[in-house]
Amino acid sequence: MTRKKKKIRKVLIANRGVPAVRIMNTCRDKMIKTVAIYSTPDRLAYHVFLADEAVHIGEAPPHDSYLNMEKIIKTALETGCDAIHPGWGFLAENPEFAEMVEDAGLIWVGPPARVIRLMGDKIKAKKIAQRANVPTIPGAYNVKTPEDILKWMKEEEVEFPIMIKAAAGGGGKGMVRVDREEELSISLEKARSEAKKAFGDDTLLVEKYIQYGRHIEVQVLGDREGNILHLYERECTIQRRNQKILEEAPSPSINESLRQEICYTAVRLMREIGYYSAGTVEFLFDPKTKKFYFLEVNTRLQVEHGITELITGLDIVSLMFDIAEGKTLPFEQDQIYPNRHAIEVRINAEDPKTFNPSFGTITRLEIPQGPGIRVSSGVYEGADVPPYYDSLLMLVMAAGADRNEALRVMDRALSRGLRVEGVKTIAPLLLSIIRHPKFVEGKYSTRFINEHYQELLAAFKEKTADDEALKIAQYVAEVSALGPQSWM
Amino acid sequence: MGYIFVKPGMSPKEIVKKVRELPGVCFVSVGMRDAGQSDYKNRLRIYDLKTLAPYYNEMGLFAAECHGGARWHVGIMNRRESPFEEIAILRELMPNVLLQTLIRETNMWGYRPYPRNVIEYVVQRVDIDVWRCFSFLNDVRNMRPVAEVVMKRGRLFEPAISYTVAPWFDTKYYLKVVDDIISLCGGVDEIILCIKDMAGVGTVKSITELIDAIKQKYPELVINYHRHITDGLALPVLLAAAKAGAKIIDVEEDTLVRFYGHSPILAVEALFREHGIPVNLNRKAAEQAVAKVREWIRDYDWAESPFRGFDHMVTRHKMPGGAFPSSFEQAEKGGFLHLMPYILQVMSLYNQIVKYFDVTPGSQITWVTCSGIVNRYAKERGEAGVKHVIELLKKFVEEKKQNFSAMSKEEQGELLELFSQAPGDFKNLILGHYGRLPVGWPDEWVYRSAFGEEWKEKIKERKEDSPVESVPEEDLEALKKQLEEELGREPTEEEFILYLMHPKDALDFIKFREKYGIAPLVLPTPVWRRGLKKPGDKVDFELEGKPYCIELVSIGSENDGVIHVVLKINNKTRVFEVKTKRAKKSEVRKATRPNEIGAPISGTIWRIGNPERGELKVGDIVKKGEEIANLESMKMENPIVAPFDAQVVEICVKVNQMVEEGQLLFVLEPLDKVKKEDSVNIEEVAAKLS
Repeated sequence: MTRKKKKIRKVLIANRGVPAVRIMNTCRDKMIKTVAIYSTPDRLAYHVFLADEAVHIGEAPPHDSYLNMEKIIKTALETGCDAIHPGWGFLAENPEFAEMVEDAGLIWVGPPARVIRLMGDKIKAKKIAQRANVPTIPGAYNVKTPEDILKWMKEEEVEFPIMIKAAAGGGGKGMVRVDREEELSISLEKARSEAKKAFGDDTLLVEKYIQYGRHIEVQVLGDREGNILHLYERECTIQRRNQKILEEAPSPSINESLRQEICYTAVRLMREIGYYSAGTVEFLFDPKTKKFYFLEVNTRLQVEHGITELITGLDIVSLMFDIAEGKTLPFEQDQIYPNRHAIEVRINAEDPKTFNPSFGTITRLEIPQGPGIRVSSGVYEGADVPPYYDSLLMLVMAAGADRNEALRVMDRALSRGLRVEGVKTIAPLLLSIIRHPKFVEGKYSTRFINEHYQELLAAFKEKTADDEALKIAQYVAEVSALGPQSWM
Repeated sequence: MGYIFVKPGMSPKEIVKKVRELPGVCFVSVGMRDAGQSDYKNRLRIYDLKTLAPYYNEMGLFAAECHGGARWHVGIMNRRESPFEEIAILRELMPNVLLQTLIRETNMWGYRPYPRNVIEYVVQRVDIDVWRCFSFLNDVRNMRPVAEVVMKRGRLFEPAISYTVAPWFDTKYYLKVVDDIISLCGGVDEIILCIKDMAGVGTVKSITELIDAIKQKYPELVINYHRHITDGLALPVLLAAAKAGAKIIDVEEDTLVRFYGHSPILAVEALFREHGIPVNLNRKAAEQAVAKVREWIRDYDWAESPFRGFDHMVTRHKMPGGAFPSSFEQAEKGGFLHLMPYILQVMSLYNQIVKYFDVTPGSQITWVTCSGIVNRYAKERGEAGVKHVIELLKKFVEEKKQNFSAMSKEEQGELLELFSQAPGDFKNLILGHYGRLPVGWPDEWVYRSAFGEEWKEKIKERKEDSPVESVPEEDLEALKKQLEEELGREPTEEEFILYLMHPKDALDFIKFREKYGIAPLVLPTPVWRRGLKKPGDKVDFELEGKPYCIELVSIGSENDGVIHVVLKINNKTRVFEVKTKRAKKSEVRKATRPNEIGAPISGTIWRIGNPERGELKVGDIVKKGEEIANLESMKMENPIVAPFDAQVVEICVKVNQMVEEGQLLFVLEPLDKVKKEDSVNIEEVAAKLS
């Protein structure tokens, strides 16, 4: 498939919050004009005002707004855009949308629709991986009943725990861990229902659950000429409810030869499927056996791409635009020198103890600054956090010459720099994670938060003088407005 | 430091020895407790009181009464201060001074008897040096648990005799109480005896006679005289007490003295000096403390008792100094302040019918009972009715010498109505729930009046033993768990103790402090009471050693029950929302009991029931572990399962409703309980039919 090279002058960002803002920043550097779309509750959101133009796209529910494919394409055409960048989430991994974009004569800033579709089917993806000699976790496809699962477990000599997943899944949704046979039936039902709701497809697969597994992924870049290279790996093991909240690069779990092996395995797979643009191959690493298994390909820009940018000095979003314009990758594998350690934490608007989403107005926002810190924010002081979308407010990244230095920078960013009022964030949890001795040693698994939950909680600094002053001020405000109280 | 003769950490024996060795007398300052209780409804805040501490530290006091009585309860209810915080602050600022509490034997710092295990648990954990302990019935048996724990801890136990002047409480009676105390405490070398003249009615003659008699029998016993000034005659009586051999006298800062508290420290010192009684007092430090009070006492004008001036009639009605401002406050709030003179008259007659000591909780029982009688007559028959009942009581008590049969049939009928609406605590009192009454139970007609037809059975139920024996122990672990559930977190030891004393008020206090932090400890009293008045007004304080400043920018006008207040906090402008009484209450029902199922996290209830059964209805029976609803949050599903076999009593949400964490979703009735109750009902029905 040969295409004419076409310059992107104006792009519609089909997203909101952190990803929209992230992409718009690079667009500004590349002098690409941006068009933001927004739903009704996002009328005063940060991304709307950062863009050169903004178009109201629909009401709050994602289906009416950020998932409304026809309307988004129509808007792109009406505003004279050459391209659409989907960011992550929403339509980023929707092959129909990618096709519709291209059919409308617009450039899709992402991988080919065919690859998205292929990799979107977890069962097919796994088969392709096996074909490319990429190790995969023992599993069974298209399981429908508890009996199917029990039969497979007997045949393959697999023991509990196991993992049930949505075949169309990703991002931790529709994934249920089963520890005992008694839970099997209710878990299967939960996974099926979640899969149906999240992806509109309730096909399920089941896999052996790797205990104390680590989540390692390789950032890959490919151009339309078939050049594929990797930007090394990221470790994304720290998760809560199967959702990543802290990532770092390089991975502290593997040595140099494993690093080379895992990175080239990723490149081999991506070459096999004819990938271009930025994408990620995720693996589960078993630290006991030093084996790694293919999990999935993320056919999009990822939330945690920033730490790879910090260690390599590259701008992945910029490269995505270049690739979309048909340019050749401007460097070769041996020109990539990661020479830093970087960590990212996700500042989600959630209760740090219960992970309960916290909505409302950000009444005060102080953003960390100082040496070694990069912040990618989707909000501003005074912004509303509406309940309809995901809870990511901001990404805080820290870089240093080595892991310890990066951790110290992150500690400063979270304990001295960041201050969010009005909504709760998981920042206290993140701080106690990076201070936990096991984490500092690099000894952790995807179960880290569950296993150390009480210790992490106990390490929360309950009160700061500033919080106390606010409570006192609330009292002063009330008594000043209302006068002496009857209980006095 | 020549004046400091006793210090925290000394053994009781050592302390008693030091007091005996003093050439003259020493003082207890009640400036930090009883002074405020008697004239300011216990509203004096630690923020202000602690300014006296540096002077107390050098004054050479025997002790500072800074704890107990009603200060504990009023602290959590009205000042929002914890007694533990107060102790911690004072320990730091006056390490030389013995801290003294006032504890009401089994009633502790509350109003009814606590079980023995609660008393022991609490007394063990409160860091107080001198434990002044009284019984409003002079029932020394009730002091035992407090005495045991205090003495075992090596702290000083100071038993008090409740003192008043009445024909039936003669010196012989009081000597018997002292005997009981000495035998409880195993001698006179490790205790100090307090004579608690809480109404301020002792005379030169009566007090001289009593102290003389005690000293003759127990020459080594150290006596502390505590006397309120309500009758206006305190100073000569204090002098008489010192001359008779009392070694410790209760006083307060001259500038704190009003009408119901204690004598002025400087004046007492001068009087004693003139009479050749040496006083161990650093007068200069005392003068400075007296002057310091002037800096803040005017901030409490609002808290002062509305009934001002001495009241020699106290010798009749015997209302204790500590109860004055609170009683008058209640009368004012209840709109019957004008009836106070009548209530006091009824009290003076009542306390001849039911004989005990008007001090907490007795004074509250007297007050509620007598104000109830007067109010009932006022409502039914106006002021004339009130005068009528006083005449009736006068006739019965004074003329007929309480001979019930000497009254006419009609009058008897009316007397039999007198206590028909008396409070439950009055009924408990005459049934012996607080202990034995000091000079015997009231006459039969009082029981007929209080209990109607049941009176004979009630008299049979009357207890002769001490509540120490009869109040059943509490399950402390269960109570702690209960508090933990209420708070949603593990309580601190101190919070638990507050909860043991006053469960409901402690919860309010803890919630207040969770919301407003240490505002009660750092705000000056005018700001605490009224806030900042005009734009530009500021309040400064320190937190963790860093300066903070709150400045008022503006107060908005009320809109939909909300006022916006703009403040600068360390120069940064912030807007605060203040809800007024008109604010719409959109309170969400929370699941608090084990049979109430709450939302585990915030989200949307998208299914009630499960696919197999379909939608649940009230009355359905669900099995343990069965999914009864499903909650979606951030695109994750959360099945909510029945924790036990149960019947659905109430479904509190609708499908697709947004719910917040903890919001009540279902009320379930455990199936075994449902069955049991059914059978009980059947039995009841059967019983009624037969």
